[in-house]
Amino acid sequence: MRCRVRHEKNIEANSECGVRNVECAMKRTLEIRTGPIEETEQLAQRHISSEAGAVIYFLGIVRGTEEGKTINAIEYETFQRMAEHQFNLLFDEMERRWPIESVRLIHRVGVVKTNEPSLWVEVVAPHRGEAFAACQWLIDEMKRLVPIWKTPVPKSQTPNPKSQ
Amino acid sequence: MQVTVNFYSYLKDLTACAQVTETLPDGATLNDLFTKLITRFPRLEAIQKSILMAVGVDYQKGNHLLKPDDEVSLFPPVQGG
Repeated sequence: MRCRVRHEKNIEANSECGVRNVECAMKRTLEIRTGPIEETEQLAQRHISSEAGAVIYFLGIVRGTEEGKTINAIEYETFQRMAEHQFNLLFDEMERRWPIESVRLIHRVGVVKTNEPSLWVEVVAPHRGEAFAACQWLIDEMKRLVPIWKTPVPKSQTPNPKSQ
Repeated sequence: MQVTVNFYSYLKDLTACAQVTETLPDGATLNDLFTKLITRFPRLEAIQKSILMAVGVDYQKGNHLLKPDDEVSLFPPVQGG
């Protein structure tokens, strides 16, 4: 199964559209998908304006232990329509709080093996302060509000290939 | 009126189903729905305080008034990342 949803808020490429201009929309890309996160592919797709001075990106990796027990993987489940809606509400709030140029976020669902990334977030802003703050805030709020749940796959249990 | 209730994560295991339909009187709230669900699925009662509720794609509190054909979702605390 490959479940892929992509949202991108339309904005016109405009070199005069500085981040201090309130009319300038924050560019946003959201994917909730089963496929792997290819870091090099994401880096190659980065677009930044001449106003950008900071790019923060974060990878969330599946640890090999969960509550003291060794695991093979984590299986992520989501209520996808609500997850997309809640992510977009967070992006709206992020745009109100900080002068962010763009945010890109990928969250995997299904089975994610240990040492593989389950989350990739990139925030582009004029300065590092707002980029760090916005990225931290977004991840914290995601963990509080976006309907995604995880079930550890014990070491003794082989991940279900149909879920990958 | 009828509403659809979806269960996510381990609530599916506790109720042994992913979706049910409930019939409620007009003016019923989410709390009324939950009370009815507990009679059908008693194992929900022990974790009542931690359960999150949504109508459509938005979180709602217990006093939220339900409408016919609402889609209600019940789930445990979220754990993304």
